[in-house]
This record gives sequence, C-alpha cells and structure tokens, in this order.
Amino acid sequence: MLLVQILVNGVLLGGLYGLMGLGMALVWGVLNVVNLAHGALIMLGGYLTYYLFTGLGIDPFVALPIAALGMFVIGYCLQRFILNLIVRSAMLNTLLITFGLSVVITYLAQLLFSADFRTINPTYSGANFAVAGITIPVVSLAAFVIAFVLAGAVWWLLNEMTIGRAIRATAQNLTAARLYGVDPRNIYALTFGIGAALAGVAGGLFGILTHLTPYVGATLTAKSFVIAIIGGLSNPFKVILGGIVIGVAEQLASLYLGPTYIDVISFGLLVVVLVVRPARSLRAA
Amino acid sequence: MSAAEPPILQAKGLTKRFAGLVSVDHVDFSLARNEILGLIGPNGAGKTTLVNMISGTLRPSEGELAFKGERIDTLPSYRRAHLGIARTFQVMKPFPGLSTLDNVAVGAMFGTGGGEKSRAKAREKAREWLEFTGLGNRLEASADSLGGPDRKRLEFAKALAMEPELLLLDEVMAGLTAVEVDQVVELIKKIRDQGVTILVIEHVIKAIRSLSDRVLVLHHGEAIAEGDPATVLENPQVVEAYLGKRRA
Amino acid sequence: MIRLAIILVGAAILACLPFFTGAVFMQFAINALILAVLTQSWNIIGGFTGYVSFGNSTFYGLGIYGTAVAMVKFSLPFAVGLGCGAVLAVLAALLIGIPILRLRGPYFAIATLGLAAATGALVSTIDLAGANTGLVLPLVRADTMFYELALGLLLVCTLTVLWIATSRFGAGLVAIREDEDAAATMGVNTTAYKVIALMMSAFFTAIAGGIYAYWISFIDPSSAFDPTLNVRMVIMAVFGGPGTVLGPLAGSFILSAVYEVLSSWISTAAALLFGIVIVLAVIFTPRGIADVLVGVRRHGWRYLTRNIRENRL
Repeated sequence: MLLVQILVNGVLLGGLYGLMGLGMALVWGVLNVVNLAHGALIMLGGYLTYYLFTGLGIDPFVALPIAALGMFVIGYCLQRFILNLIVRSAMLNTLLITFGLSVVITYLAQLLFSADFRTINPTYSGANFAVAGITIPVVSLAAFVIAFVLAGAVWWLLNEMTIGRAIRATAQNLTAARLYGVDPRNIYALTFGIGAALAGVAGGLFGILTHLTPYVGATLTAKSFVIAIIGGLSNPFKVILGGIVIGVAEQLASLYLGPTYIDVISFGLLVVVLVVRPARSLRAA
Repeated sequence: MSAAEPPILQAKGLTKRFAGLVSVDHVDFSLARNEILGLIGPNGAGKTTLVNMISGTLRPSEGELAFKGERIDTLPSYRRAHLGIARTFQVMKPFPGLSTLDNVAVGAMFGTGGGEKSRAKAREKAREWLEFTGLGNRLEASADSLGGPDRKRLEFAKALAMEPELLLLDEVMAGLTAVEVDQVVELIKKIRDQGVTILVIEHVIKAIRSLSDRVLVLHHGEAIAEGDPATVLENPQVVEAYLGKRRA
Repeated sequence: MIRLAIILVGAAILACLPFFTGAVFMQFAINALILAVLTQSWNIIGGFTGYVSFGNSTFYGLGIYGTAVAMVKFSLPFAVGLGCGAVLAVLAALLIGIPILRLRGPYFAIATLGLAAATGALVSTIDLAGANTGLVLPLVRADTMFYELALGLLLVCTLTVLWIATSRFGAGLVAIREDEDAAATMGVNTTAYKVIALMMSAFFTAIAGGIYAYWISFIDPSSAFDPTLNVRMVIMAVFGGPGTVLGPLAGSFILSAVYEVLSSWISTAAALLFGIVIVLAVIFTPRGIADVLVGVRRHGWRYLTRNIRENRL
C-alpha cells in the first residue's frame, strides 16, 4: 500500500515537474537556447502568485493565469531586448547570459521579497480525499491536471495555429521563417514569453505545494533540464511524461535509499539516457 | 610496379544500411595505384556514404575494405588517416575559427604516418600546400571569411597536407563556374602527377570525362556500370538512371 | 615569446606580494589564486577542446577529499595527500571521460552538470570520508606558504596551458573544438586527446582542491562538491577569453576583484551587480576580454557595437 501511495505521489509531483520542463523544452527546441534562468523565472512566477494572493486576496488558482500573463510580458521583453542581441553567438554565450540573468533575477527577488520562506497557503491547501485507501491531495491533483491541459495547449498551439507553424518554421530555419512572412525577432520573443508563462504557472503551483525562497531557481533549472532531456524537445506530452519519470524515481529513491539520493537518481537517469541514445538529436520541432 | 602489388583500395560486398534502408548495396570495386576513379550517380545514390565508409566516418554494415592489402574496415578514422587516406567533405568542414594556415597545418601535423611532429615545420609545409592550391596570399585569413571557391581550395590544401596516398574528393566542383572547374581539373591532375591515387565524386560530367581513367556508376546504392568514361557514359542504363533524370 | 615573459614577470611580482600586504588581503589573494587555477584548468577542456565541463567541481571535491582523508585518517604528510587527491581525480577523469566525452555540445555539458552533486551525495555516505559531518584537518596558520603554493601551482598550470597553445597536442585539441569529425578524418585520435585533456584539467583542479583543504582546514561534502564553483570557473574563463593563455587569468583576477570590491561596498547588491556585469560582458564582449584588446586596436570602440551587430537576430 505504501508503495502504491508513493507511486501516486510521484506521478502527481511528476505532473508539476513536467510543467517545469515544458517551458524549458519549448525555448530550447525552438530557439536553441538552454535557458539557465528558467528556474529563476519559475521562482518569480511563484512570488507573483504569492503577492496576488496575499496582497490582493485573489485565489491562487485564479491568480495563476494573471501570473502567467505577467511572466509572458517579462519573458517577451527579456528575449526581445536582451537575448535577441546575442542569439547568433556561441552556445556558451547563451548559457552564460542566461546564467547572468538568473543571478540578477535571484538577487532582485532577494532585495524585493526578502530571503524568508514563503508559502502560498489557501484554506484548501491541506485538503485531500481517499480512493481505495490512497490519499490524493486536491492541490497536487489540480497541478497534475493543469500540467496536462497546458501540454495540450502547447501542442495545439504548435500544430494547429498559424503562429505555431511560424514558430516551428523559425525553429527549422531562420531564413525560411523570413519567407514565411514573420519577423523572427518577434517569434523568438513570443516563444520565450510562452516559456516564461509556463514557468510562471509552474512557479505558482510550486509555491502552493512547497515553499518559495529567492534561491530555489538553480535547483529548478537543473530539474527542468533533466526533464527536457528525458522527455525530448519535440512533444509536450512526452515532456510531462519525462517529469513523471523523474517524480516517481525521486519518490522511490527517497523511500528506499533515503532523501540524500534524490539528486543522484535524477542525474544518474539523465546520464544513462544521454549515453544510451547519444546519436538521437533532441532538437526536432 | 610489380604485377603482384595489391590494389591501393579494394572493396568487396561493401554495404551500408540505415534503419532498414540500404544506402550502399554490395558494391565491389578496386583502385590501382595512381589511378583516378570517377564515382557518379544521381543524388541519393550512396556516393557520399561510400566515401564515409572508406574514410571511417561510417562503419560498413557488411563487406570488406582493404587498403594496400590490409583490412581497414574496423579501424577508426584517425588510423586510416595515418595509413594515408585523406578526404574532402561535400559540406565543407574548415576549422572556422582558425586561419587558413592553421587549418592546413592540422593536416600536416596529423596526416600520414601520424604527421609532422614539429608545429613549426608543419606550418612551413602548410604554407607550401597553400601556395600549391593557389591560396598563398590568404595565409592569415580566417577560414570562415573565405568565399566558396577559396573554401574548396582550402579543403584541398588540408587534405593534401596530410600527404595521402589515396585522396577522396567529394563534389569539390559543385557550384563553381566553368573557368573555376577547369582550374580544379588542372589541380587534380597536378596532384595525381605527384603519385596520389584519387577517387572523385562529381556531378560535372565534363570534368569526369577529362579526369577519370575509369568511372563507376552508383544507382540506388548498387554499382550498375564500370569502365572507361567514354563507354560508361554512353551506356543506356546509365543514361536512363542518371543523365536522363538530370535532363528531366 | 612575449607571453612567457608576461607570465614569468607576473609570477615574480605576485610572489613578492605577501611581504607588503596584510592578513585580510592574503585571505582574498589565496582564494583568488585558487579560483584562477580552477579557471585555467577548466580552460584546457572547455576553452581549448571545446567541451564545456560542469564536472570539474567533481575533480576539485576529489582533490579536497583525497588530501583530507590521507592526512586525517592515515596521518600521511600533506605532499602525499596532494598526490592521493590528484591520482583519485585523474582516475575519475579517465573513467568518467571515456563514456561521457562521446557526447557532444550541450549534451556533454548537461551530463557533467549533475556529476558534482551526485559525487558529493555519494561521498556523504562514506564513513571513512567523515560522511555528512566532514573532516577537520590539522590547523596550520601559514597564509604566506599557502599563497606561494597556490601561486606556484598557478604558474605550472599556466605554463602547461602555454605549452598546449603552442604544441601539436594543443593543435589537435583546437581541431576537435572547431570540428571533431574533420579532426578525426585528418588523423587526430580524438578520443585519446579529449580524455587526456580532461585528465590534465582534473589534475590541476585536484591539486588546487588539496591546497584549499589544508588551508581552510575544515571540509564537508556540500562545500567540496559545490556546483556553483564550476559555474564560476566557466564564467571567469569565458569572460577572459576561453582557449587563450592569458585570458582566463585576466578574467578570474578581474572578476574576483570586482566581486570583492562590490561586496565590501554594497554587500546586499553585490551579487546582483555581478549578474549585470556578466550580462553586459556577454553582449558587448562575446569572445572575452582577450579579444577586446585585439578588436579595439583594429576597429576602435566601435568594436563593441560591432559585436552586437554580428550576433543579434
């Protein structure tokens, strides 16, 4: 029974992980930028939701779309006015500049929000129900459902909408994108904005499920990284699946080996995946 | 040259499959010392795959490959380079951040027999090969600043600096003007006169006609004709598979 | 050789510094020298070979623990301890390098990213290594000695990098960085070269770790295998100019000093400004400050806007 409970916890947690990986994978796949500020954006989304809730009294789940919109604007501006300046530079430079941005965001957050722990704590945060003896926390379930809905939305955007086709065309070939009649600067900014919006939602949910500090970004970036690699960059649902794999693996590791091994497990999995299928290109939009 | 000398390169039943698709299908051929063999065929016929197997970039799925009588089909690329096999790439691969001189010096430092151990001497040799290929005035230019024809010359110089016995040329004339093609044909003849055996992949039929001692035609991965250029290029099967398609 | 002269004169001047400065400065200087060694070591695998390693803090941690365990648990002298740490790290580089150096580009970077955290977690379960609580080394108060040791190591490491920059071996590494397939078909034994480069990088990194361990005299897994340290190596090398001999030195000295000055002025905002410096540096000097000297001489100050024009969308 304990095992089943652990598996359920892992799967539910994995949905949130998948959502974290989703924005990372989208930006990576389309822009070929490994965004080391992704975790910091998740953190920022978390604080945005927190202040919408505590400051304005907006229910966190209602605040999520507002936070997402805010994060979209921030993401759009970051790409349009900063990252677009260097996108044709070496890969190392995009790593470096996004790392620099993550440092800036982290310490701005420390100045603005202080280093104290914050939890988004609505009245129903502890609510749960039981199915066949298995406890299911309501908020975790909601996070899981939201992750799938957003994965579906991303899939629909990329495959069914004109703007999505433009994004995919840009990912394939910048010149081709110009022929498509779109301005790649705008497409890049839109894509990064969407990635930031997804990070924002993930951050809000993260803030409800655990707690926020300005420094969680680095760990979350690393986690999103691993998930994007395991899930691949081409299919949003596979990214969620990648999140679930990590969620379950972490829960099992923490049960059988102890919590120290959580990080060893996710990175061990990562290395195995990379070494086993090195030839397969992840970048296929 | 004694009659008993093994061919420079001998392929028996050479085959490459990619996930079920056969790219090169049981191809047999050999190259005698100091010969120029033209390898032609429509796009996707498996020409570059064949060259990749000879240079070691790809491992054959089946078949044997011998260089001067020694099996080489399981050797890594660098060992084949040390034995004396050099190639150019269809999609040119200069070392973009290095000067032309440093690009070519890499060939001199690591080529046949492991190359020239002294970096200074290697650079001296590189300078000579750049003169030979007509890039003597662009020694310090960075490789990614070169235009198309100069890039091709650089590919040549890099391969030649390895002082190979066998040189594999993958579409070195694509995109050149008629005058430039003539220059490259002359260059290839000059290289052969130095005792190098050459395999040329080319779409420019005029060049193949004037260069090759023999021509091998690939179609859908199979060798469909082999012989002297005049005969092969008139072969109806070849005309249909290759020339006919190009005319259409 | 102008570079050799600069290195030797610079080392001679730095060697005299302890006789004119105070204890506070020595603290800063030893830290800065160790960081410079780490940056220069990273330069071998990251700058010359083009493999962006985030696994170097693993080698640092192994150097720290190799030295500490040898000295604390086996009462071996410091020099032997350093050797143990170095052997451990070089062996690890060999064993890890063979599978992981098959990965290219970002995949290699990511695969190495978790290495330090994972090794740290493993070390924290080993009783011989003090498990979670760490180890306490015999305390010596000899900052001048540690300073000169770190400086000597930096000198040897930099001379090695100078040799790489001018040797056939280094030309092979650079060829791998520029185009690995082309390098292999031109006769470079790419696997051996990459693994040797990683082992060299691991060697100097581990010795630096050993010196740090004895100097700081208390170690634990989370500080020894700190992944953010690796990020600093990368930033300092890239800021200075990866794949050059003097660039990473300049990068690490400048950034160490900037950070020190910022944190003494305005302690809360120091990290924030550090982040801004990185962002601006990538935008205006994407090839490192080593390239700025050349670029500004050739193009004047328009060099800076030229970089943006080249790299923007």
